[in-house]
Amino acid sequence: MTLRTRLLLIFVVVVVGTVALVEGLVAGTMRDAFERVENQRVEALVAQFRREFARRGEEIVRAVNSIAVSDTATSIAVAPDPAANYSQAAVLAMAHGLDLLELVTGDGSIISSAEWPARFGYKEEWLAGTTGWKSHGAFLRREEVAEGVVLALAAVGETRAGDRTLYVAGGQRLDRAFLASLVLPAGMRVLLYRNLAPQLSAGELMDANGVPAQPGEFLALVDEVRKNPSETVRTFGSGTRTELFHALPLTGETNNVLGVLLIGSSRAELVELEASLRYTAVALGGGGIGLGILLAWWATARVTRPVQALAASAGKVAAGNWETTVDVSSKDEVGQLALAFNRMTRELAAQRERLLQAERVAAWRELARRLAHELKNPLFPLQITVENMQRAREQYPQQFDEVFREGTATLIAELGNLKQIVARFSDFARMPAPEMRPVDLNGLVRETLKLFEPQLAQAAVTGRAELDAGLPQVLADDEQITRVLRNLILNAIDAMPGGGVLTIRTERRQGAVRIEVSDTGQGLTPEECERLFTPYYTTKTHGTGLGLAIVQSVISDHHGRISVESQPGKGTTFRIELESQVSR
Amino acid sequence: MRSRWLALLSMAVAASAATRPHYGGTLRVEIQESVETADPPQTGRGMPDLADGFAITRWEAGRLAVYSANESAPGGRPYLDQVEIQMGKPLREQGIDLELGKADVVQLGTRPAAARKTWASGPVRLMVLVFNPRVADARIREALAWAVDRTAIHNVLLQKQGEIAGALLPQWISGYAFLFPTAPDLGRARGLAAAAPAGSRVLSLAVEDAQLRPIAERVALNARDAGLGVAVTLGPNADVKLTEVRIESDDPARALSRLAAALSLPEPARADTPDGLLSAERSLMAGFRLIPLFHLPDVYAVGGRVKGGPGITPLGAWRFSDLWVEGSRP
Repeated sequence: MTLRTRLLLIFVVVVVGTVALVEGLVAGTMRDAFERVENQRVEALVAQFRREFARRGEEIVRAVNSIAVSDTATSIAVAPDPAANYSQAAVLAMAHGLDLLELVTGDGSIISSAEWPARFGYKEEWLAGTTGWKSHGAFLRREEVAEGVVLALAAVGETRAGDRTLYVAGGQRLDRAFLASLVLPAGMRVLLYRNLAPQLSAGELMDANGVPAQPGEFLALVDEVRKNPSETVRTFGSGTRTELFHALPLTGETNNVLGVLLIGSSRAELVELEASLRYTAVALGGGGIGLGILLAWWATARVTRPVQALAASAGKVAAGNWETTVDVSSKDEVGQLALAFNRMTRELAAQRERLLQAERVAAWRELARRLAHELKNPLFPLQITVENMQRAREQYPQQFDEVFREGTATLIAELGNLKQIVARFSDFARMPAPEMRPVDLNGLVRETLKLFEPQLAQAAVTGRAELDAGLPQVLADDEQITRVLRNLILNAIDAMPGGGVLTIRTERRQGAVRIEVSDTGQGLTPEECERLFTPYYTTKTHGTGLGLAIVQSVISDHHGRISVESQPGKGTTFRIELESQVSR
Repeated sequence: MRSRWLALLSMAVAASAATRPHYGGTLRVEIQESVETADPPQTGRGMPDLADGFAITRWEAGRLAVYSANESAPGGRPYLDQVEIQMGKPLREQGIDLELGKADVVQLGTRPAAARKTWASGPVRLMVLVFNPRVADARIREALAWAVDRTAIHNVLLQKQGEIAGALLPQWISGYAFLFPTAPDLGRARGLAAAAPAGSRVLSLAVEDAQLRPIAERVALNARDAGLGVAVTLGPNADVKLTEVRIESDDPARALSRLAAALSLPEPARADTPDGLLSAERSLMAGFRLIPLFHLPDVYAVGGRVKGGPGITPLGAWRFSDLWVEGSRP
């Protein structure tokens, strides 16, 4: 993973995390605030409904008292025959907007009933059994009518005329019509459960339009309030259909639960507002994250561009391009780094140049020394021979011919040596390009070892071949590889002046073949190992120092590698690896 | 002194002129019933009673009938020139029209008599509960008979009009009606109802006339106290029917026979003695297929300009031939 990618990922994670954290905090705070405001609104609505309910009760009390204090009520109270006023209740109820009205004598006999006209003469014991109706206010009552039992918000008034008493018991039914007549704020609805039967019944649950849809969930709440008569709050529905319901027990004179009022407040506005905020937050967050990613991309690109340039330049330097420099476009740490890099490469190039010059000088010196050394050896016999021939001519003329003959023979031999030395230097200088073809390395090893058998025997060295039978063929120049093997074998023989064991191994590696040439000689020091492949470097008293240089050159031309492993006193192993391009 | 005598004389003459019958004028009658037949009715009470002295001159079915005086009537020409009968008038409208002087004779129903002058027949309408034959359990029928509180209905809903009835024939015709019990016995009714299967304790009670509905509702309430479930309906197909049957004759045997025919009962046995008649009536009422409730009179409120009369007989028949109205020609 690149530095830019890592930086970009870090920036993205930071941006996303920050945006998510901020949005979460803001959204949570706003949601809490909205919830608080919504709850206050619902509380206000419920309080408003309670006032409306109380107002309706007061209206009923006013209507009943209005009837009770009317002349009509007085005349009914004093009428000698109550039967004459049989139909008065219906008239009065209609005139005062009451659903229920009964005119009852002091002993509890019904004179006239608006809700159940046929009940005249029946007794209403509960009226006569209670005193102080005027201050009683409105109350809930379970009232029997012709069609069954209804729940009523009722009030009682009294008319006293002489020793006679007339009770005026009136009220309004708590039913769909009552619910429909309530003035409710927008977003609010009211359900009523009439608890008139021991069993829970969906038919007793109603709203202004009839039985509400899905009454089951409301009935569960109603049942809870029936069992524990206290205000209970529940939330029903989901999404924009969410409603918060306050369930209020409606108790009668004896605190028995006669009904349950469910005041529902729609949370659609809140849900829509929260959804809108959520969408806005997501959009803003998404936009912020996108913008953050773009900025992060731009920033990382800006930050990493000089670093990448530095890395690319360092790569070029590593590849050998010592002249590489980096553009310095800033004065910050990266700019200073670029300046340092450029200074470093200039310094490296200069040092390399100096090193090359030094190596070149050293090489020339070494070449001169070698040339001097190699040429000096044959020159000295040449000089001695010529001087012997001059001395023999001057002092021993009779022996001159014999000396001349021996001298010329020596001169020819030494000149041959000189010619051979020159030819070797010439060969190194003119190393030909390898001619690649499939080569059986095991065969080459065997043939080469066979050629060196006499020399190995003379040097008391045992030649051993440990060859991998599954070794694949390789693309190589067989003559040059043979020269490599010859040089390494000669080096090994030279390394074992007292005899030893020469081992040549071949081995199949992953996509390559390995050739190892080991001896049991005196070994090399680490310093010698480092300089071993330097041209004209040798640890021997004879030789040109070109053998291993030629070996390395050949292996390099074959795109292979050569290494040496040695410890003083434990012998030396040369290891060659070539690519196996032809499988057997 | 002489002028005083003259004044008294003129007052006497004026009074004599006011009370003396004279011809002319139109008697405006309003009735609740609405006769929808193509021709005027020829039998029954009301308009058919006018046939003796008047002849139909205009007939608008269900709305208006105009009878004109028959110059050659057997008993002589009626004083009135015309009798104009408005049909299908609700009782309330009739009362208003009487108060406003738009009508001379209106039916009173069970309303208190606000008018100064009324005509009432004898109690000639039998209000009765009639069971459908499909109500087979006699205990249910008897339970309802014992449950009904006739007195409360009579006092309140009927405003004490007519008589409480336990028999088919009224007391003034048969003379033995008091022998039939009318007082409720709620305990007995509850016992009878409780003994009957639960499914049979639910009844439907139909009323032919919406005016009878309050009475039916009260009967249903009484039945409820006895353990019977009674639902009041408007329509013919019910378990019990609250209806009125007119007594057509003041002869007990003939009246009973006609009542039996009107109520689709078997023809009662011929009886010439009160005991036989009582026995025949008891046999008609055996099994509580009928529950007589009240005997009601026909009651009319009459405007102040109507003179003569009364214009109805004890059996409720119209006798308008001897009536005249103020303002008509002497």
